[in-house]
Amino acid sequence: MFRPFEWQDLLPLLEGAWLTLQLCGVSGILGVIFGLILGIARTSPSRIARWISTIYISCVRGIPILVIIFFVFFGIPLLFPGLEPDKFSSAVIALTCFAAAYVAEIVRGSIEAVAKGQSEAADALGLDYWRKLRYVILPQAVKIMVPPGIGFLIGLVKDSSLVTVTGLLELTHAGNVVTNLTGDPIKTFLIVAAMYFVICYGISWLGRLYEKRTGIHVDPLKVPEPAGL
Amino acid sequence: MIFVENLHKKFGPVHVLKGVDCHIREREVVCVIGPSGSGKSTFLRCMNGLESISSGSIVINKHRLDDSKTNINLVRQEAGMVFQHFNLFPHLRVIENVMLAPLKVAKVSKEEARAKAEVLLAKVGLAAKMDVFPGSLSGGQMQRVAIARALAMDPKIMLFDEPTSALDPEIVGEVLTVMKDLASEGMTMVVVTHEMGFAREVADRVLFMDQGLIVEEGTPEEIFSSPRHARTQGFLSKVL
Amino acid sequence: MALYFGDLLPYSSLLLEGLWTGLYITLVAMLAGSALGVLVYLGKVGPGKPLSVLCTFYIEAIRNTPLLVQLYLIYFALPALGVNLEPVWAAVIGLTLNNAAYTAEIYRAGFESVPRGLREAGKALGMKPAQIVRYIILLPATRNVFPALTNQLILLFLASSIGSIISLPELTNAIMSVSNTTYRTIEVLAVGGLLYLAVSALMSLISKRAETTIFRWAVGTHV
Repeated sequence: MFRPFEWQDLLPLLEGAWLTLQLCGVSGILGVIFGLILGIARTSPSRIARWISTIYISCVRGIPILVIIFFVFFGIPLLFPGLEPDKFSSAVIALTCFAAAYVAEIVRGSIEAVAKGQSEAADALGLDYWRKLRYVILPQAVKIMVPPGIGFLIGLVKDSSLVTVTGLLELTHAGNVVTNLTGDPIKTFLIVAAMYFVICYGISWLGRLYEKRTGIHVDPLKVPEPAGL
Repeated sequence: MIFVENLHKKFGPVHVLKGVDCHIREREVVCVIGPSGSGKSTFLRCMNGLESISSGSIVINKHRLDDSKTNINLVRQEAGMVFQHFNLFPHLRVIENVMLAPLKVAKVSKEEARAKAEVLLAKVGLAAKMDVFPGSLSGGQMQRVAIARALAMDPKIMLFDEPTSALDPEIVGEVLTVMKDLASEGMTMVVVTHEMGFAREVADRVLFMDQGLIVEEGTPEEIFSSPRHARTQGFLSKVL
Repeated sequence: MALYFGDLLPYSSLLLEGLWTGLYITLVAMLAGSALGVLVYLGKVGPGKPLSVLCTFYIEAIRNTPLLVQLYLIYFALPALGVNLEPVWAAVIGLTLNNAAYTAEIYRAGFESVPRGLREAGKALGMKPAQIVRYIILLPATRNVFPALTNQLILLFLASSIGSIISLPELTNAIMSVSNTTYRTIEVLAVGGLLYLAVSALMSLISKRAETTIFRWAVGTHV
């Protein structure tokens, strides 16, 4: 029934890790794109844009990611009959929705941190909102978005573990499968944990490299740490 | 009272003080002027042990600072310091700021500490602000509280590290007035400052420092009216 | 498709019970985790080198692995160690250990963010290091960490939902079981989501009010 853990069991785990990386890569990129849009909307002079983005961000951040994953996975086929995204796509959709909200807050914080004086200087020079945003504020804001962005990415990798409930064979679910085969949950999940550690620590190492190169360091108390998981 | 001999201070490879000699007598008011980076603040901070000595010696009120057996906290009780950025304790009311050290270091009774604090705050003109938090005070008011706080320990010497540099010009006067009163009462004072008017009026001696050394020293008249060194002249021509 | 919330009515108490369990567990894990976090922080910055390394390793291990995996490990490790408790305990222990690592980092940032000048003023007045920490650093540092800690509380509450995967009987667990019984998946997810939202919004509001009340002296300043 159970067989002892063998080297060949590493293979599904590595495949799971690879799937996790793909999942986070796609969701991360999409999340950053939508997050940028949301973050700009959040700080725009248009009241409607601000309201819609604020409502979206507050809702997503006030609900557990697990609930969002369930909602997307079970809800989309029910709400849009005929539409049945595969597990990977539904995971991407769920993670992107959640990622966008968190990135939006990082974007907002960075835009607001670029000194108010910059905004006023640009106004005084006669730049309209979009030009001011594009040439003065965003170039500076983007630089300081990176350190908290790294933290967010690490959080995304960890949160992707929750996708296991949909049955997608990412790293954590692979761990479940291997556990069922070998009956050795502790060894299996220690390896799973080690793989996550390597991925996350690697990302944070890249982040530290960036901070060293650019000297941009972020106050950890002010960063919205979504990585509380 | 303060004997400084061949004082050297290095921060890693950076040689900030390159052999400073100085003797400050009791009741003397000495002003230290000079360009930024000259080491004036470092020189001052060596006197109460906030910076350690790399080589040389400082004897302050009979305590040898380069001797490891010296109790630095005793030295600090005898030398009060006022900082450029006030450094008031934001979570304590003004009177509590002044009472803290007497209570916890000198271990006086609460009544005694309170009474003394009230006297000192009245002396610097802030009796009315006793029970407020520093956050609601102006810069000048904060600095005056800082002076009262330093005086609460009955120091024999007062060290001022650019006390008015962080203040708006119109507020500088109220702090200088307090310092002038202190000087006229006979307090030994070492003041690192950019306020030449104050130095001229109150100092017994002025030291001009540049690149880690005392380049020239003398009475205010000597330094301001007829400086001998080229660097002193250069500096004064820019600031006066 | 037609949404019908009426079917959920008989299960409302189940949902609320789940909410209550989640809150309860969150508070326990927050209190225990914050206390443990202080110890871990002190261990990390303390003089003992091996303890410091251990604490650093602990913090990094927790912060770079998913909570779910941590819960799985504890859930499976407990019986192996001979301890036979309900899954509730695995979840509480897991959340506590997880929280401790994050609060330790919050304390570190809080202490380091107190301006050097305050420390120097304390030194200049002749105060000893222990006195400086107790009378000068502690309160401003606490004020600095307060928003981060309350944020952590909200995150912890949302994270408690992960316990449902190891059958912790909290709200998400209740949501899924109601969904399985009534097939009103969208409706129950919506209601459950709203419950979470309401509680987290309330927590956020209360902590903001608490911050301005407790730290009255900090109004208008950043220490």
